[in-house]
Order: sequence, then structure tokens, then C-alpha cells
Amino acid sequence: MKKLVALFVAVILALSLCSAFAEGEKTTLTMWCIATESDANRPAYEAAIAAFEAAHPDIKIEWEAFENQSYKTKIKTAMADPSTLPDIFFTWAGAFLGDFVDQGNVYCLDEAYKEFAADLPEVMMGNASYGGSHYGVPLTMNIVVMFANMDLLAQAGYDDVPTTYDELIDCCDALVEADITPFGCAGSETWCVTEYLEPIILKTIGYEELGEIFAGSATWNDEAIATAVDTFQEMITKGYFDPNGISLGNDQVKANFIAGQYAFYQNGSWNCGEVNDAEGNFKVCLFPVMDAEKATYSQVIGGPSDTLAVAASSQNPELAAQAAFELGKEICHYGYLAGSGLPAWTPDYDTSEVKALVADVAAMVAAADGMVLFGDTAMSADPANTYLNFVSKVYGCEIDGAGFITSLASALQ
Amino acid sequence: MKRTLSYKLNIGLFLLPALILFLVILIAPIAMSAYYSFYDFNSIAARDMDYIGLSNYKTLFSRFLVNAENGMQYENDKFMGDALTNSLLLAALSVFIQLPLALLIALKLSKGIPGERVYLSVFFMPVLISTVIIGRLWMNIYDPGEAGILNAGLRAIGLDKRLFPWITARLTSSKLEFTGQWTGFKETALLAAFIPILWQYVGYHMLLMYAGILGVPSELLEAAELDGCSERQVNRYIIVPYIKPILKVCVIFAVTGSLKSFDLIYTLMKDTTKAELPSTLMYKLLFLHNRYGLGSAIAVILIALCFLFALLISMAFRTRGEKVA
Amino acid sequence: MRRKRKLRFSSVITHLLLLVLVFINIFPLYWMVTFSLKTNDEILGYSYEDPVTGERTQIAPNHVGLPRHWEWDNYVAAMKTGNMGQYFINSLVITVLAIAITLIAGFMATYALTRLVWKGRKAMNKFFMLGLTIPIHAAIVPVYVMLSKLGFLNTYAALIFPYAAFALAMGILISTGFMGDIPYELDEAAFLDGCGVWGIFVRIIAPLMMPAIATVGIYTFLQCWNELLFATVFVSSGKYRTLPVGVQQLFGQYTTRWGPIGAALTIATLPTLVAYAFLSRRIQDSFIAGAVKG
Repeated sequence: MKKLVALFVAVILALSLCSAFAEGEKTTLTMWCIATESDANRPAYEAAIAAFEAAHPDIKIEWEAFENQSYKTKIKTAMADPSTLPDIFFTWAGAFLGDFVDQGNVYCLDEAYKEFAADLPEVMMGNASYGGSHYGVPLTMNIVVMFANMDLLAQAGYDDVPTTYDELIDCCDALVEADITPFGCAGSETWCVTEYLEPIILKTIGYEELGEIFAGSATWNDEAIATAVDTFQEMITKGYFDPNGISLGNDQVKANFIAGQYAFYQNGSWNCGEVNDAEGNFKVCLFPVMDAEKATYSQVIGGPSDTLAVAASSQNPELAAQAAFELGKEICHYGYLAGSGLPAWTPDYDTSEVKALVADVAAMVAAADGMVLFGDTAMSADPANTYLNFVSKVYGCEIDGAGFITSLASALQ
Repeated sequence: MKRTLSYKLNIGLFLLPALILFLVILIAPIAMSAYYSFYDFNSIAARDMDYIGLSNYKTLFSRFLVNAENGMQYENDKFMGDALTNSLLLAALSVFIQLPLALLIALKLSKGIPGERVYLSVFFMPVLISTVIIGRLWMNIYDPGEAGILNAGLRAIGLDKRLFPWITARLTSSKLEFTGQWTGFKETALLAAFIPILWQYVGYHMLLMYAGILGVPSELLEAAELDGCSERQVNRYIIVPYIKPILKVCVIFAVTGSLKSFDLIYTLMKDTTKAELPSTLMYKLLFLHNRYGLGSAIAVILIALCFLFALLISMAFRTRGEKVA
Repeated sequence: MRRKRKLRFSSVITHLLLLVLVFINIFPLYWMVTFSLKTNDEILGYSYEDPVTGERTQIAPNHVGLPRHWEWDNYVAAMKTGNMGQYFINSLVITVLAIAITLIAGFMATYALTRLVWKGRKAMNKFFMLGLTIPIHAAIVPVYVMLSKLGFLNTYAALIFPYAAFALAMGILISTGFMGDIPYELDEAAFLDGCGVWGIFVRIIAPLMMPAIATVGIYTFLQCWNELLFATVFVSSGKYRTLPVGVQQLFGQYTTRWGPIGAALTIATLPTLVAYAFLSRRIQDSFIAGAVKG
């Protein structure tokens, strides 16, 4: 049987070699990503690939896009047999890519990076670096921001976004009074709940401690976190959140916000382009400080996460690495202009066309005095998903702050 | 003839295609899963595996775990018990609601009422629609916003004002208010998942049973009528016992189908925790938590359960059969 | 006289109940088609201000009615993004071939298990019944590795063989019932005419198993036509993508615009339903023929 399989494989290999020669000198690089048609990032990918192929007429990029959720299954399964991986693949930085690096399936980019170091600050490579080596090309970076619908705030008597916690609570009470729902949050996608919970925790305990907790070097068992969770739940039970949110997906919640159903929507800055182009008067701000001794207003959750990586099993790893950097740079370029994120690469093009909200967020990032990567990206798969399971229970009010910290502290020891 | 029938080479050749398919694509992978279920590892390429004996199974069946360092008890988010209860509930709903309904329709239609073919065609139709589509369609039906047709219907007849507060007060344990988020609460999500399953498969069982009923020899039915049996008696004492083999297939299909069901819940709800089933939990452990040993253990448990149920159902049908005879 | 009237009354009730069920079956599909032709504004309701008088007019949401304005653009949008036609053909090819393999392998195995005489056939039958119990998703990683070793990934074969393998157990279970009903005298007569086991199988058994084709076929169809996870993972190239994967992808794009989603749902459903409209009688007939023979 083994011999038969071996023979079969040999025949297939021989055949594919023959066909490779028959096609001439044109090299083909394969790529998997999640930019499906009419995904916000699709035009950026199309433009970047067209530009790359124009610059390298001897290289053809053969790319396939997959729906986000199923892509995660697909890429993880493909790791079981690295020979089935494409040359270049989209991945999330942090622990998601880290697992693949641990398995030895990712090509090290240190060599290729040298050529691009001038345009791509080393700090932006940090989330895709493991053991001092670089394994991923960042595309865009994003932070969690609070979008505010100024028209609705005006109806409640506010002409600017609240900057302190007390102001925020007063504002929410005024909104509820005026029959306006202050917040929308998609409960059926737990990462959306973390977009609310993490900033609240951040503004309670500060970025240093939160960073250590996500890294596993500090414990969740901190009374201050319990207080932050209780605050969040109080906001929910006081009716600040749309009750329908518990069974809605993020796209619906976002659409509701854009349609003027909620005064605030706290989510990633990749939404800037969409919110910016929507009808209405919108602003971005950050969640206010809860404990001024530990946190400041300008601390943020976020960092570069969308990444391209090269498979170690690639037939042309150097070429693929080169292509990953060039594509990454262009995807970043077009994505920035379209408002789907902030540039991880230093722009070398005209940025006067950048959308107003994106520019505002860029200023926030520039002024940030502390940044913590999204919890579910920072933690490795098992703890990250255990964390998400408990966050989901927080939003459903199934556990309180004390239960949250003791459970997590024990489960993620 | 007997010698020809027991000629070994022929037996082998007849079994060969099925055996190859079976061994290569089912048994070998499952054997691997069974092997993996005794290990703890988070690399899909099965490297760095730690042998941990039955620990994975123990983890799946402990509602609470104890932290080794501080001795504190905490809730185990990988506990399989709730998912198992859910899938058994689903199986019970299928067997005790879906199948009787299908049998009832089949009995009515097989009596030759006008338009029976039209009814048959309509009832069978949802079977042919892809589960992905049905999941999405029902997601829209349950939509808690203005457009969701279920809540719009309840609003139109004013039922929401009485039903929703009742659900909030009596049914849900959460502090949140129920405003029609059928897939957002544990207490309603499983039922919300069952209804589309019922909607899709009732026609399948109905057609199987209908075909079986038409196979009942007409002499039997005529004899019963001459004896003055009522319709109910004919149904109970002649038709149902006669189509028992088909009923058995239906029950096995409904039960194992419920234990294994995945696609519908996966497409109906983005977050399956509200109606967690063993298969969705397995998917999460394998592909989100990267806990391949734990995921494989669920696979093994599921197979064992399905096998056990198939066996029990077969036995139940056998003893019943003897009584009737 | 009295009995007749009673019968009529109960049959009216029966019809009424059946019609309610018909309504429940059809309504979601009707609703799907109507919202596929509406705009979000029409579904959700909206208000506008008269530019001259400044009066606000509230337009109520249109939930179940026919569209006020038929928004065919939804279909243009849905067709433009998904390569639905190709996906549909792929699904068809894969499903038909998987059914064929299931039938051939299943009938042959059933013949060996029920007609041929050998020790251990009961045990072998139980062994095949294991297949009934295996959740398709449990084996995804090992099956992937296996398919990759066989060089099947990214071809139709990557889905055909696994689907056939997973449908096989049910195929054998159903066929056993059908084959058991074929009288043994026929085998004997054929044997006396000089047929070997293969002759008996091809000339006598296979033709009489025709009715089982519908039953096994529909069961296999259900598994293959709906399957999502294998189809996502085992096939990368858009060339071989199946309908569920394509539809799933489309949903990712129009999560909030009801019209194009409805259009995508309708496009994905319609060909099946049209084919069914023509074939339903035949499907039912073969089901029924099988049961009558038995």
C-alpha cells in the first residue's frame, strides 16, 4: 500500500513538474486571504495585486478569498499538512500566527525585511515577531474607538462627546430620557463585547497591568477588574444597551448605529471609512478614564493585527517573502485611503485625501501613551477562547465581576 | 449453489469497494481520533503530544475544575454535560414531536384524499433546500429588529405584550429583558433551532412512512374493514406494526441526526454557546481552542453514544415486534 | 347516510389542517422571495419630510405584502458577486457522483452481507453500521491529511469520496431492507440457469433494487447537497467550490442588506425547486414502488 501511494505521489509530482516547465518561465505564487468580493478590503487587495503584477510581469499571483469564519478552520487544517499551504497567507498577528510559527510552518522574514525596514518601522512588526525573529508583514493597524452620533447627542442636549466617566453616565441618562438607546453591542459575536469590556478595564487598571494580564504574567484576580465588570453590567441593566444586541451580529449593530439607532458604537477603527462616508454627523473619541491614578484618557486597546505570512513549505520562499512585503505595503496604502485602518507602513504617498475620522484616529494613536493589543489576539488560542466564553457570560449577566475574576484567574492560571 | 455463494474471492470482491471507502475515509481517521483523545496537544500536526490517559474525558465531564495551585474551584468552560443534555433534548423532540407528526400526515395522506400528491410534494420540498440556506432564512425570521417576521407577527396580534414579559419573568434566568431575541437566550435558543429542523425534515420522514403504508397489502386492510375495525384500529394494529422497519430507520435517523447535527446551528447562530451541542463544542475545541485531544475525545464520545442509541433502538423495535407477533 | 356526512365533516377538518401545514411550508419561501425584491426601507419602514409643506409622512414597514416597488437590482447585486451558476454545477457533479458511488459500493456490500454465505457477515454488518454513528466533523483533520496524501485535495474527488464514505452506512442499512424482500427463489432459478454470483447480482438483484435507488439516493443527496465544512476545507480553488460555501460567502458580504441576501437565497434555492417540480412525481413513485414491492 505504502509503495502504491509513493508511486502515485511520484507520478503526480512528475506530472506537475512537467506542466510547470510547459508553462514557461512565469512563476506563480498562490495566496489565501479573507478579502471576499465586496469585503471592505477587496479593492485594496485588487489594486495591490494589479500593481504587483504590473511591476513583475514574470510573476503571477493566484489568489483565493474565503469567508472569515470558515477561513480560520481552513488555514488551521492546512497546517496539518504544510505541503497544502499556499505561498502567502493572510493571518492575524499575536498568538494566532504564533501557533503556526511554533509548528515550524512559517518562513522567517528577517532577511527580506532588511530591504523594507525604511518604510516599515520595527515596532509595527512586534506582534508578528517570535523569539526575536519576524514572521509576518503587517497590513494596517487599528485601535478600539467610540464612535458618537452627534445629532443624537444634540437631541439629548450635548454638543460634544463626554470626556469623563461622570459626564458619560449623565449623557447616557439624558439619552435614555430622550428615548435614545446609548449603545449597541453585538452579543452574538463575543469579540464585539470585548471591544466594550477591554477599554473599561483598561481605563480602570491602566495599560501596564492589562498588558501583563494578557501576557499571562499577572493574575486576573484583581478587585479593580471586578469593579470594571460590574460597572459594565450596571450600564447594561440600566438600559444603556440595546437589548436586541444580544442576538445581533456586528454588521447589523453597525448598520443600526449608522442608521441613527444608537448614540454610541464602540468598535475597531477599521469602521472609520464606513462611518465617515455615512450620512450624519459623527465623531470618534475614547472611553473615559475610570481610575485616574492608574490610567489616562489617551491609553488605547489595539495594534497591528492583519498580517501576511509566507509558508515555510513554499517552493520559492524568497520570492514569496519579497511579494508579501510589496503586497502588504500596497494593501496598507489602499486600505488607509479607504478608511479600513491606519497604516502600519510609513506613508510615502499623498495623504491629504485621508478621511476625517481616520485622521482623527491617527492623531489619537500618535498621542497614545500606552497601547495593549486586543485580548483575544494577544492570548494564545485556548486561554483566549476561555476568556471569550466568560466575557460572553458577562454580557448575558450570567456571572458578575467577582465570578469573572475568580473563574478566569483559576482557569488561566 | 451454497458452494458458489460462499466462494471467498467473490465475497471479498463484493465487499472491496465499500471496505476501501470505509477503512480509508472513516475508520482510519476515527482510529486516529481515538488515539489522540488520550493526549494533550495544541499542534494540529500532532507534535509535542503528552500522554494523559483519560484526563480529557474527565475534563469533559466535570462541571467544575479545581486549580492545582490554590485549590480553588472554578467553572469549567469545556464541560460537555450541557451540550449533551441539549442534544438529547433535541433527539427527544425529534422522536416525540417530529415523527408522530410525520406519521399522522402519512396516515392521512395514504388514505387517498384528493390532492394527496400536491400535499406530498409540498411537504417534501424543504428537504431539498440546503441547510445553509435554511439556517440563514430562519435567522432572518427570528431577527429581533423591525424586519423579523416572527416578532412582527407577534406584534401584529398583540401577543408580544403578554408573551415577552412572561418569558422574561418565568423562563429566562438572565437579568436581561426578553424583547424577541429568540437566539440570544439559552432558554429559547434550542427551541429556535429545533423548529427549522422540524420544518425541514418532517417531510422526509413523512414520505418514507407514506411509502411504507402504501406497501401494506390491501387484503389485510380489506379484511380488517370487514371485521368492522375503525380507522384508528386499522392504523394502530395493522399499519403501524407493518411499517415497523421503516419506523426504525426513521427513529435511528432522527436520533443520530440530532446527536450529530451541526450545520444548522452553525449557520443559524454566530455564537453557538446559547444552544451548544456536542458537535459545535467539538468544533470549538478543535478549531478555536486548538485543544485537539479534547476535541477528539468528544468525537469518540459522540460515536459511542450514536452507536449505543442505534443498538438500543434496534433492540426496542425487536422486542416490540415479538409482542405483536 | 349519517356516516357519510360525518366522513365529509372530518375530511374537511383534515383538509383544513393539511392546508395549515401547507401554509407553514410555503410561507417562509414566499416571504423569502418577497423580501428579495424589496429595499431595506420598504422592509423596515421609513419616514420622509415633504419638501414643500414640511409635513412628515410615516411609511409603515411592509412585512409580508408583495413589494410596492420590485427591486430587481437585488438580483443583479447577488449575481454579480457570487459565481452561483458554477457553484451549482459543482454541487450537482459532486452529488451525482457521490450518489453513484454510494449506490454501487452499497449494493455490492449489501449483496455480500445478505445473500452470500460466510462466517462473520453479521459482525461485518455491525461494523458497517458504525458509519451511521460517526459525525462527519469529527474526522476532518485526519481525512484532510489522507486526501492530501492521495492527491485528491482541490479536485471533485476531495468531496466525492468522503461524501460517499459517510453516506455508505445508511445506504447499506436501507438496501438491506430492500434486498431482504427479494425472494431467494429468483436467485436459485438464475443459478439453475447457469448464472454465477456476479450474474445473479447483475441480472436479478440489481434490476430489482431500482426502487432502493430513490431512497438511498435522496438520503445521500441530503448529506452531500448540504455539507458545508468539508466543502470549505478540502477545496480551495473557486473552480470546485460548492453551493453552500458560495452562499455562506455571499452572506458575509450583505449581512445587513435584506434584499441581496434574499436574492442570493432565492437564486440558490430556485433551480432545485424547479427541478423538483418536474421530478417530484418520479421521486415519489420510486419511493412508493419500493415500498409496494416490499
